[in-house]
Amino acid sequence: MVDLATILAGFADAFTLWNLAFVLFGVVLGQFVGAVPGIGPVMAMAIAIPFTFGLDPLPAIAFLVGVNKGGLVGGAVPAVLMNTPGTPDAAATAMDGYPLARAGKPLKATKMALFSSVTGDTFSDIVLITVSAPLAILALRMGPVEIFALMIFAFSVLSGLIGNSLIKGIIAAALGLLCASIGSDPENYTPRLIFGYFELFDGLPLPSVAIGMLAISEILRRLSQIRGDMRGAIELHDTGNPDDRRVTWAEYWGCRFTMLRGAVIGTILGALPGIGSTAAAFMSYASAKTTSKEPETFGKGNLHGIAAAESANSAVVGSNLIPLLTLGIPGSVGAALIISAFMIHGIQPGPLLFQDQGRLIYGLFGAMIMANLLNLWVGQLGLRFWVKVVSAPESIIFASALLLCIVGVSMATGGIFGVAIMLIFAGLGYLMTSFGFSVVIFIIAFFLGPRFEISLSQSLALMNGDWSKLVNYPIALALLALSMVSLIWFLSRTQSDDLPPETSIEE
Amino acid sequence: MSVTADRGAGAVISLFGLVLYFGVIPNFVEAVDDGWVLPATIPNAVAIVLIVCGILLILKPTTHRPQRMIEFQKAALYFGLLAFGLLAMSYLGFTYTAPVIALVLMLLIGERRPLWLILGVAVLPATIWFLVVYVLDRALP
Repeated sequence: MVDLATILAGFADAFTLWNLAFVLFGVVLGQFVGAVPGIGPVMAMAIAIPFTFGLDPLPAIAFLVGVNKGGLVGGAVPAVLMNTPGTPDAAATAMDGYPLARAGKPLKATKMALFSSVTGDTFSDIVLITVSAPLAILALRMGPVEIFALMIFAFSVLSGLIGNSLIKGIIAAALGLLCASIGSDPENYTPRLIFGYFELFDGLPLPSVAIGMLAISEILRRLSQIRGDMRGAIELHDTGNPDDRRVTWAEYWGCRFTMLRGAVIGTILGALPGIGSTAAAFMSYASAKTTSKEPETFGKGNLHGIAAAESANSAVVGSNLIPLLTLGIPGSVGAALIISAFMIHGIQPGPLLFQDQGRLIYGLFGAMIMANLLNLWVGQLGLRFWVKVVSAPESIIFASALLLCIVGVSMATGGIFGVAIMLIFAGLGYLMTSFGFSVVIFIIAFFLGPRFEISLSQSLALMNGDWSKLVNYPIALALLALSMVSLIWFLSRTQSDDLPPETSIEE
Repeated sequence: MSVTADRGAGAVISLFGLVLYFGVIPNFVEAVDDGWVLPATIPNAVAIVLIVCGILLILKPTTHRPQRMIEFQKAALYFGLLAFGLLAMSYLGFTYTAPVIALVLMLLIGERRPLWLILGVAVLPATIWFLVVYVLDRALP
């Protein structure tokens, strides 16, 4: 168990002006990119990771957490003002936010989104802080056999839940594992699939793969959809009534149960790998509408609709870190990027994280609390500015994002070779997304690949190569049985494909 | 059996799995006799999964529709621009190449306003140069 001194030292590490500055910068950047339709916090995090190399782990990860949290608040701004969600999970917010903005209350709508977002986020952070350490202790009792079975279970659940086809999910996971196997193999250290490029002996560079698949492929997709017309500035109508520019305490308090329900839904779904914030937002919205006394007002500018969607999608961010910090398994693309930042800074996520790096983890929790407060503060001050940002032209946004990706990967990998790999994976990511294969599963499998192989090797060594000895490991056996059950269930499920062809990585 | 995007993708993936299993892995993975997990174990397992799942995708496709061909062509154009830009960057460096990449990209997107073009071609690369070289004290590509 982590002792109190470590917890206090971690929080003390976090609450410094230096870290505060990085969290603030992250929140501002996150709200900014969230407000720009087309970038989003995932792409911003992917681009920002190489720029954090020179930093200590805590400010670097705190900065990325700030970007992630700020992005969720910023994503609501274009959803409300333009009916164009900056992030996919803000789509549910647009359903009531946009009608409210059209009725001359854009600031009321964006402020309700801000307050609900911060409320949901804070709730899930409290759950994360209280449950992750005890869960990590439980996870520590698991040996290589159980870890191997757990990874099989995670792959089967992720393959079934993310995207619309289990088969495509398995293919994406297999491709991720294949790419993870490039380089020296962990048991014999012989070169494998390096094709004469000795730069690949240590494996494919993580920043190249992550930025290529998540950022550049998404930019290519967005660029291919531009039809040559530059976006114009939006026009806002104002009723002139001061009450329409703010959320009163009575209005906020009136939504308390809606926000609480949304936060609980978001926290539970966020803790399960594979179910994203978009699902949480829509589930919470549907739940609020079903239980409302005035369901007919939903979709016409009901504050409860905004509160339900925003509290749920923001609550996912904190609880997403529960499987990451306790088991080392990222449950979403945002968590996968945070895991890559951990690894780049030499920290191995997993059950031992609390034991080996307890101080850093509690520092991270402190930074998350700071990010929530700053999200509220920056949101209050910046909403009027973000309203201007939504009209920034895509030409400058994408040009700057591309150049930053090139420079970032070059710095991270030490030259143009890593940038070339980034470009290859950008092409692969674009094709995968276009044909409905989840790049999120690919990335998670790529991150987990080396651990998967090592735990397989250790498991076989423990069982002396005899799989029948699995009966001595009841937890592993139960996890493998669960994997089989979930695979059969997902396979038998009717495979509907309602997603539009423009499906983005964040969906 | 109609030809759908999924069936096409399934065929390509199965074929890739076959090439991997019979062509790539035997030639580019060293054969080792000792150990619980051989260097070829995971790649071989992946190749088999790809072959099987590719066939399953052909047999049970979803109704997924990819983008229109024009969008693929546009994406290929931007991809080609980036590839050519990187090649030029490896010879000329970021300082000379980045403004040209930014300019061509902005023009392709449809930007014609001089102020935004100047911002993208001059101010943006200069800001990145300042950030990387002076603030972070790192080298540009």
